[in-house]
Amino acid sequence: MTAQLLSELLKQRSTRTNIGLLAAMLGLVLFVELVHGVGLAAEHLDARSDQLVTFGRGEFLGVLFAALLGALSITSEIRHGTIRPTFLVTPRRGGVVAAKAAVSMLLGAGAGLAASALAAAIGAAALGLRGIDLRLGGGDYLLLIAGGAAAAALWAAIGVGIGAVVRSQMPTVVGISAWLLFVEGVLAGDALDLGVSRFAPGAAAAAVSGQEPGTLLAPALGAVLLALYAAAAAAAGCLATTRRDVV
Amino acid sequence: MRTDRTDARRRRELGPRPLAPPPEGSSADPVVSVRSLTKRYGGFNAVDDLSFALPAGTITGFLGPNGAGKTTTLRLILGLAEPTSGEALVFGRRYPDLDQPARRVGAVLESNDFHPGRSGRDHLRALALAAELPPTRVGQVLDLVELDPAATRRVQTYSLGMRQRLGLAAALLGDPQLLVLDEPANGLDPAGVHWLRTFLRRFAATGGTVLVSSHVLAEVAQTVDQVVIIDRGHLMASARLDDLAGRGRSLEDTYLQLTTGGA
Repeated sequence: MTAQLLSELLKQRSTRTNIGLLAAMLGLVLFVELVHGVGLAAEHLDARSDQLVTFGRGEFLGVLFAALLGALSITSEIRHGTIRPTFLVTPRRGGVVAAKAAVSMLLGAGAGLAASALAAAIGAAALGLRGIDLRLGGGDYLLLIAGGAAAAALWAAIGVGIGAVVRSQMPTVVGISAWLLFVEGVLAGDALDLGVSRFAPGAAAAAVSGQEPGTLLAPALGAVLLALYAAAAAAAGCLATTRRDVV
Repeated sequence: MRTDRTDARRRRELGPRPLAPPPEGSSADPVVSVRSLTKRYGGFNAVDDLSFALPAGTITGFLGPNGAGKTTTLRLILGLAEPTSGEALVFGRRYPDLDQPARRVGAVLESNDFHPGRSGRDHLRALALAAELPPTRVGQVLDLVELDPAATRRVQTYSLGMRQRLGLAAALLGDPQLLVLDEPANGLDPAGVHWLRTFLRRFAATGGTVLVSSHVLAEVAQTVDQVVIIDRGHLMASARLDDLAGRGRSLEDTYLQLTTGGA
């Protein structure tokens, strides 16, 4: 298993894909925190809940990019055909998917940490410059950043699982993006009172970093739920990859 | 047959971790044994009750028209696809049950199974790590296929011939005893074809076994010891090349008669 982990780590490091993803993510964090931190009226930034939401954009972007990183770790191998030599060397294919999930979780945690920390730092600086009082304490920041890292790590595993089940790169990337950017928003729409949206995996990720207390699940509960999603997705990916012929 | 001493030397070259003495079949067993192999896709059998065996130290040409089931058969042998019925064994075992398969079998199924943005060296390093091979093997196989100068460049800058050689380098990483190659001569220039033929002959001369699919009958006739010809998933012929020649038949005559319905 160590051999597979080292191999997957090298694969992740030896193309420019992840550097590109990281740069895009950090650029978007910078963009959203500057636009909201500077552009929003003070009355929308004043309350503790407003600041949690604004700084929590880092968690969202970390989750999105970690999910894509995880998904690409397998769909890119399928797209370029490297999956064949990979499985020739390691014919126990479930182990390959598990190693991809583990390495993607590690890198996803790093992405989530970077995104959440940068968002909190830029957001806080922007508010400070405008003379808006910061309402968040050390515990809030810790939850935003550590929770953002944990949520991104778990979503990276979800990405690997979805990628292993779907296999085709474009539908995987579009599906994950559409879910996080659109579907969950629709489910959580103000006019709806379905009561299920907080159990969705994107909402659970936001809960882990302590956002929207009262509306979303408590952080610990969100973490447990998200871990269940991640375990289910990774297990489905292992099973699908083991049982189906290699394309 | 390779002697035990040669075996020991080859193992030492692979690094500190010795190969287990052959629990996976004795040396008298065929290296590849395909028995009543059938693969059904939808309503039709891509491979239909196919049986053949490859003795050690031989080069076998695997021939048949496009769509005959050659690549499917190779995928079944290599554990990338599951047979509907029958079995394909390498060294007496199913491929996924081999202990450290890269040290027994090297295979190239497609000429372009690389990430275009990864260097040739990193491609090999990732496989060597997964196969638990010493990192020095990467440099050795790069030397062997004469790709060393290009190794740090990204694969997208490689010519087709260079990609063929990188694929072969990956197959050779574990110093295997069996090579399975699907159309390895595609895209090679005449010097490359000559190099490949010389390489395969030398590989077989030291006890290695080769299964190579090809469409280029003239090239096959110069390289292989025996042929397995299939058509629509069925075995049409399995014969030694010199037996065909002894009957006064050229490989091309035999092939065309067997694969075009006797026309």
